[in-house]
Amino acid sequence: MSTPDFGSESSRVPSGNGVVGDIWVNFKRWNRKAIRNPTPVFLDVVMAVLSLLMFTAVFGEAGALALEQSGFGDVGYVSFLVPAVLVQVSMASSVSSGIGLVEDLQTGMFEKVVVTPMSWTAVFAGKAAAELLRIVLQVLVVLGLALAIGGRIETGLPGVVGIVFVCLLFGTWYMSLSNILALVTRDQEALDAAAYALLFPLLFISSAFLPVSSLSGTTQIIAKLNPVTYAVDAVRALVLDRDVMTVLEISAFGGIYDTLAPALAVLIALNIVFGATTIALLSRASSSKAD
Amino acid sequence: MVQSRRAHNADDTRNESADRKPSVAVENLSLTYSDGTEAVKGISLSIPKGEFFGFLGPNGAGKTTTIKMLATLLEPTDGTVRINGYDATSERTAVRGTIGYMAQETSVDEELTAKENLRFACEAYGVARAQREGRIDELLDLVDLADVSDTPAEQFSGGMKKRLDAATALVHDPELVFLDEPTTGLDPKARNRLWAYFERINENGTTIFLTTQYLEEADQLCDRLAVIRDGTLVEDGSPDELKRRVGGARLEIDVDGGPAAVTEATDIARNSALFEPDVAVDTTEDGLRVTTQFASDHGTELLVALRDAGISVSGFDIEEASLDDVFLAIADDQADNLEQPGEGSA
Repeated sequence: MSTPDFGSESSRVPSGNGVVGDIWVNFKRWNRKAIRNPTPVFLDVVMAVLSLLMFTAVFGEAGALALEQSGFGDVGYVSFLVPAVLVQVSMASSVSSGIGLVEDLQTGMFEKVVVTPMSWTAVFAGKAAAELLRIVLQVLVVLGLALAIGGRIETGLPGVVGIVFVCLLFGTWYMSLSNILALVTRDQEALDAAAYALLFPLLFISSAFLPVSSLSGTTQIIAKLNPVTYAVDAVRALVLDRDVMTVLEISAFGGIYDTLAPALAVLIALNIVFGATTIALLSRASSSKAD
Repeated sequence: MVQSRRAHNADDTRNESADRKPSVAVENLSLTYSDGTEAVKGISLSIPKGEFFGFLGPNGAGKTTTIKMLATLLEPTDGTVRINGYDATSERTAVRGTIGYMAQETSVDEELTAKENLRFACEAYGVARAQREGRIDELLDLVDLADVSDTPAEQFSGGMKKRLDAATALVHDPELVFLDEPTTGLDPKARNRLWAYFERINENGTTIFLTTQYLEEADQLCDRLAVIRDGTLVEDGSPDELKRRVGGARLEIDVDGGPAAVTEATDIARNSALFEPDVAVDTTEDGLRVTTQFASDHGTELLVALRDAGISVSGFDIEEASLDDVFLAIADDQADNLEQPGEGSA
């Protein structure tokens, strides 16, 4: 089999636009496509807000009880859920990255872009930048709506910046995953099914809707291995302004950093592993090696 | 004409040196897939600047694999490819700046409008900002999409998408365009429009490398044709040369008098030396068929010979060879090859 040909193009002369110009060209294309097709962007937000409303309505009492038992007695269930729905909207949004890739593969746009003088790294960097922008906007909208229905951010504006950053870091991981699935399946329906089949178990078997300590034995083990738990815990630390991590008991940093440091370390490690895999697969898909 | 920024630097020198370089220079090109399939087996080919070149062959003969190697989308297993003077492997980006490529499957971004598709292509190929809008309008006119320039491509018919696809391959006024079965699946009207369009860009000096299933298309458009079969070039020449090589024309003669007369007439045709050395005589239901490149030269002499033998000719017809005959002849050869045990790959 062929191996990724990182930089094997000795001819990689800068294109007429330069790398930044090439990134900009692709960034514009993917933003324009998102604007043309706003339904998924809108639905991601609606789903997240619906989750927030439904969980509060249905599990409000039970949730408060579970919080009480897990040492979150002073926290409102809405505030507890805000991190969950922010992570949910980041995940749903990230799936669009893989879907965009599959569409390009199926319509031949992928090949059409490869045959231009643009460097493929710039092509995918521009696409990723547009998708990250979309996550930022969706997270801010959901955050605004959550605040409107009674959520509170205890860390203020710096906390909001931190929340967006954590959502982006988590989003890039899920984007990598959706791109890997895209390149493996090369089929939009299969990708859709796989991404949504993963979305709900990942969300439910995590610290998203209930504290990990209130989950049953096996579920607790899965939750501890689930990346969503670390993203939610990091966002939750910023929302509640306290150390909320129960998976790893760390006290070296103090306060919310006892949660943020290990959670971000886990997310960064995941990004490195999945990001490298994605780049290798994308490089192979855009290379001209016969297989 | 508009030049892309990328091509611009080379523009001054191109007239002196690069003009003499062929658009396509291929030596001993081969491609073997990792499963061992030899898709292309040692092709050599040179296409001068400005030629309208047609690349024909049955399905699976290696047409698309070859075009992808020339367009830098596939690295050859062996051999060299030079496109517009650049090496297709070591100077890939330079090659990409000087070629247009229209894939077999229509490739447009359906969420974007016709104009936005063209603008993206302009930007991707680095067409200078000042020239972009003029170039886009010019191309929209050329492919007759000016009226629907702000309509998303998903609302277009198949033919409109194809025309948009063709236009996006030309935004940078490339020296060479690859068109991989550009009219497959189009209705005759849309096909004719695309043909006129390809002829126009060829007249403007663009070299065209076209693959097609439609022999009529190759016949009408191409200066020169090459035929690939089983990954090997089997014919190369002008459409007329190819037709002549396959055996020229067919002379169909019907006679009165039933099977006896047919047999007698066939014998006369077979024994006459009129069409030697290139002749085949077959019996038909009401007469005979003589396939020969000398049909129009000596056809009347055969008719005279038949009359002299007392055979009454009820009808005759001379049919010039078409590219279909070229194709059928090649397909027949292929069938022969397949029948030999131990030979012939799919």
